[in-house]
Amino acid sequence: MGGLQKKKYERGSATNYITRNKARKKLQLSLADFRRLCILKGIYPHEPKHKKKVNKGSTAPRTFYLLKDIRFLLHEPIVRKFREYKVFVRKLRKAYGKAEWTAVERLRDNKPGYKLDHIIKERYPTFIDALRDIDDALSMCFLFSTFARTGKCHVQTITLCRRLTVEWMNYVVTSRSLRKVFISIKGIYYQAEVLGQLITWLVPYQFAHDHPTDVDYRVMATFTEMYTTLFGFINFRLYQTLNLVYPPKLDSKAESELKAEHEEDYAMDSESYLEKLSALSASLARVVATAEEEEENQLDQFPADGEDLENMEAREKEQKEQEAQNRLFEGLKFFLNREVPRESLAFILRCFGAEVSWDKSLCIGGTYNVTDETITHQIVDRPDIDKQYINRYYIQPQWVFDSVNAKMRLPVEDYFLGVTLPPHLSPFVEEKDGDYVPPEKLKLMALQRGEKHEEEEDDDDDDDDEEYNDEVDDEDLTEEKNLKKMEDQRSQGKQTLAVKVTPGKVKPWETGSVGNKVRLEKEEKAEEKRLAIMMMKKKEKYLYDKIMFGKKRTTREANKLAAKRKAHEDTSKAEKKQKKAKKQ
Amino acid sequence: MAAVKRLKRVAALQPGFISFKSSAESDDLNSGRRKRVNKNKKKNWNKHSDIQDVEEFLDDVRLQERATGGLISEKPDDSLFFVDIGEQKKSVLPEVQERKKGKKSKSRPLRIDLILQHDSLVPPPKDVLAYQQPNAKKLRRIAENAEKLAAMGVLPRRQKRLLNRRPATKTSKAKTAANNFPDRPYYDLWGGEAKETADPYYLEQTGKRRVKRPEKLNAKPSILPAVEVIAPGGSYNPDFFSHQALLLEAHEVEVTRERAELRIERQLAVKREDTATEETVFQELVEGLVEEEEEEEDDVVSIRGGLQQEKKTEKERKRERADKIKSQQKQAARVFTDKKQQLFQLRSIQATLKRREQRTRERVAQRKANQEAEKSMPRRLGRLKFQAQDLEIQLSDEIPGSLRTLKPEGSVLKDRFKSMQKRNMIEPRERAKFKRRHKVKYVEKRAFREIT
Repeated sequence: MGGLQKKKYERGSATNYITRNKARKKLQLSLADFRRLCILKGIYPHEPKHKKKVNKGSTAPRTFYLLKDIRFLLHEPIVRKFREYKVFVRKLRKAYGKAEWTAVERLRDNKPGYKLDHIIKERYPTFIDALRDIDDALSMCFLFSTFARTGKCHVQTITLCRRLTVEWMNYVVTSRSLRKVFISIKGIYYQAEVLGQLITWLVPYQFAHDHPTDVDYRVMATFTEMYTTLFGFINFRLYQTLNLVYPPKLDSKAESELKAEHEEDYAMDSESYLEKLSALSASLARVVATAEEEEENQLDQFPADGEDLENMEAREKEQKEQEAQNRLFEGLKFFLNREVPRESLAFILRCFGAEVSWDKSLCIGGTYNVTDETITHQIVDRPDIDKQYINRYYIQPQWVFDSVNAKMRLPVEDYFLGVTLPPHLSPFVEEKDGDYVPPEKLKLMALQRGEKHEEEEDDDDDDDDEEYNDEVDDEDLTEEKNLKKMEDQRSQGKQTLAVKVTPGKVKPWETGSVGNKVRLEKEEKAEEKRLAIMMMKKKEKYLYDKIMFGKKRTTREANKLAAKRKAHEDTSKAEKKQKKAKKQ
Repeated sequence: MAAVKRLKRVAALQPGFISFKSSAESDDLNSGRRKRVNKNKKKNWNKHSDIQDVEEFLDDVRLQERATGGLISEKPDDSLFFVDIGEQKKSVLPEVQERKKGKKSKSRPLRIDLILQHDSLVPPPKDVLAYQQPNAKKLRRIAENAEKLAAMGVLPRRQKRLLNRRPATKTSKAKTAANNFPDRPYYDLWGGEAKETADPYYLEQTGKRRVKRPEKLNAKPSILPAVEVIAPGGSYNPDFFSHQALLLEAHEVEVTRERAELRIERQLAVKREDTATEETVFQELVEGLVEEEEEEEDDVVSIRGGLQQEKKTEKERKRERADKIKSQQKQAARVFTDKKQQLFQLRSIQATLKRREQRTRERVAQRKANQEAEKSMPRRLGRLKFQAQDLEIQLSDEIPGSLRTLKPEGSVLKDRFKSMQKRNMIEPRERAKFKRRHKVKYVEKRAFREIT
C-alpha cells in the first residue's frame, strides 16, 4: 500500500463550510458586528446537506456559512470601520471613566462612520434589481416610521424612515401606480406596479404597537439601516424618471395656496414642510414644467416576431383598462371626516386622481372646508351624522377600497351611512375556474362585465323595515340567479351538452334572432368538442378523464360550499325575521 | 571703630554729604585691636584691606537714591522741611474720608499688586540697544529698493514661492455622516460610471477596486415572497366562508399543539404497573429474609466443539464430490429451464418492469417535489428550529362592524422578523438569558429593623 493516509474532514464538504464562530474569529469581529456585517452584505447562513460530515463528526446543531462567502467578506472595507468603531468606543469609555470631558468631546467629534453606498451598488448592480427587492425595504420603513420615539431605536432612524415613506407615497400618487388595497386585521396591504414590477407592502395601523419582546431590535435596526440607504437611492431614481424635483418640493401654486390659508397655526416652515408633503393633498414640483397633454402620449406599437396580433390586442386592451382605472376618481371631490384613517384614504384617493380635503384641525394641508358645495363624497365612519348636505354622498370608507379593487366605481348604495357593509374581499386571491367563488365576488364580477345592477330600488315612502326586507329579498334573488348562472356555465364547460333553460326570467339573449344565433353557435361549439373527445387516443383520453375528474371534484366541493352558504343565509334570514317579528 | 572713622572720612570727602543712617550705634561695636598683616602680598591686600567704609558709603548713597530719588544733601530745603503752623482745619476732612471710603473699596489696588510694585525711585536704566538700529542705512536702502520693485510690479521671491505653491488639498477628514442622518442626500447610484483605464491588478491590490461579488450570493436563500399577504379570512370585514376557513386553519394548529403537549404528558405519566400494591410492598419488606431455592440448570456443554473432527475417508470424499457436481448440474438445469420458461412469461416480466419503472418515476417526481417544497421551507440554521408565529385571527364575535372600531391583531414588527427567519435570512435565536453571577443576599437594614 502506497501513498499517504487520507485524513478525515480534509476534503469535500467539510472544507466548504465554516462555523459562525470560526468565521467571526477569522474576521476579528465581535458577534454583534459579524451579524451586522452579514446582514449588510447579504450573506446568509447555510444548512449543509451532510451536517455530520461538515461538523467533523459531531452532530451538535451549529450555524454554518460558506467559506467562500467569508473569504469574500474579508475584502470588505467596512470591516475596518467596525474595528475602528470598537476602538473608538473603548477610548470613549476610558475618557468618561477618567472624567476627561475635553477628550470625550474630541473623540465624539471624530466618531468613525461608514457609508453603505458601495454595498448597495454591489448587491444591486442595476436599478431594476434594486426595485425587485424593495418590498422588504418598504414594509420595514413604513413600520419604523410608525414607531413611537421612545428610545427603542434612534429617533433619527424614525425620521429618516418617515421622510422616505412620504417620498414613496408621493411618487406613487404622481405616477398613479397603485393597483390593489387590502385592509386586514394586521395592517393595510398595498400593491403598486412600478416600472413593470409588482410591489407589495404592508403598512401597520397607526398607534397599534405593543413592542414584542422576542424580536431582536438590533437586527431589525441593521436591516433598516441597509434598507433606508437602498430606498433613498431608489426614490431618487424614480423621481428622476418622472422629472420630479428630488428631494420633493410642492408645486409652487399649491405651496402658495397652503401658505396663504393658515400659516400662523403651525410651526416653522422648515419643520412643517415634511408634514405638508405627507398630507399628500398637493402635487409635486417638476424639474421641467410639462403640459398635461404629455401624459396622454401613445405608445408606439411594434408587434414582436413571436407575438401574434391577438396577443397584442389583448395587451392593448389591458393598457386601456389600466388607464381607465387610473382615472377612477378623477373629478370627484372628497371630504374626510375626522374618524377615518386620513393618511391611507388620502393616499388612495389621490392615487386615482380625486381631490381630497379634511378638517383644518385634523392635519395640515386641507384645501377646502366641509361647507364647500362642490364636494361630491364625504367619507364618514359613524352611525349617524347631524347635518347633511343634500348634494353629496355620505359613504363609509370601505367604498374607496372596494372600488379600487374592483377597478370601477361601485354603486354607493351598499356603503351608505349606517348600512351593514358587504364583506371586504381580498384582491390578492385569484380563483381558478371551478373554485368556489363567494357570491359577493360574483356580483362584483358581473358588475365589472357591465351588467346592470338588477335590483330596482324604489324610493317610496314605505316603512323602513319593509324596504329593507325587500332589499334583502332582491339581493337573495340575484344571488340565487348568479349561483345558477355559475352552475350553468360550469356544466357547459364540463358536459357541453345541456344548455339549461331557467324557467324564471326570460333572458334577452335567448329571445329573438340574436338569441337564436347565439344559442346555435353555442351548440355548434359543444358538438365540436364532443367529437374531439371521441377522436382522442386512449392515452390522451386517460389524461383527459383524469383532468375532468379533478375539475369535477373541485366543482363538487364548490357546489357544496355554495349550498352551505345558502343554508347559512337562510338561517340568518329566518333569525332576522324572527327578531323582527319579536320587535313588532 | 576704624571703619566708622573711615566712613566719616569718606563721607567727609564729599562736600555737603548727609548720611542717611546715624552711625552712632556702630561706634562701640567695632572696638578691638587692629590686626597686623603683611601687605607685601597681593593676596593680603585683598584679604585684609578694610573697604567697608566705602561700601557703606555707597550703600547709603544708593539707599538715598532709592528712597528719596536723589542725595538728600542736594535736595532743596522745601522738600525736606515744612513750617509747622499748628493744627489744620479738620472740617473738610471727614467728608473727604467718607467719600473716599465709598470709592476706596472700588479703586484700592490689590495687595498683591502693591507688593509687586516697583518701589524704588531710581528710574530703570535705559536699554540703549533698543534705540539703536544696526545697519540702519542698509535696511533703509533695502526698503527703498523693495518699494521700487513693488511699484514696477515685481514680487519678491518669497512671495512668489508662496503663490506658486499648490493649494493645500482638503486633508481634513470629511466627516462621514451617520447613515440614519434624516436629511442625508441621495444621488443617482446607478448613473453612468467612468471606465477605469488603469491596470486591474494594480487597482485590486491597492484596494481601489472592490473584489467582484460572486453571482451565487445574489441568489435568494428562499423562494418565499418578501411580503406574504394574509389569507382572505384576515380581512377586517371578511366573507363568512373565508373567515371560517381561516378559523379552521387556526384550529388545526391549536389541535396539533395540544396533541404534542398531551403526548409529552402521557409519556411522563406514571405507569400503572409501577405503582406500589400491597403485594409489592410486602415483597419488598421480606426481601432477603425468605430463601428462595433456585433450581440450577445444568448447562449442557456441547462436547462436540471440543472434539476434533474425524478424518474423512477416501470414499466419503468421493461421494461428496459427486454430490456437489450433481447439485451444480441440477442448479444449472434449473436455471436453463427457468430461462426457457421466461420466454413464455415475457408479458408478466414486462409488466413488472413497467411497474418498477413507474415506481422509480414516481419516486423521482416525489423527490423533486420535495426538493421544491423544501426551497420554501425554513432551514435549520442554528441551535433552534424556526417556529412560526401564531396565526392572526379574530373570532366571529370580535369582527368589527366598521373600520373605526377595528382592533388590530398581532404585531407587524414580529411579522417582519419572523418572515426574515422564515426566509432563512437570519437564524432563529432566543434572547440571551440574564445570568446572575452572585447570589442575591437580602439584608434587613438596621433602621428598618428598629421599626419592626
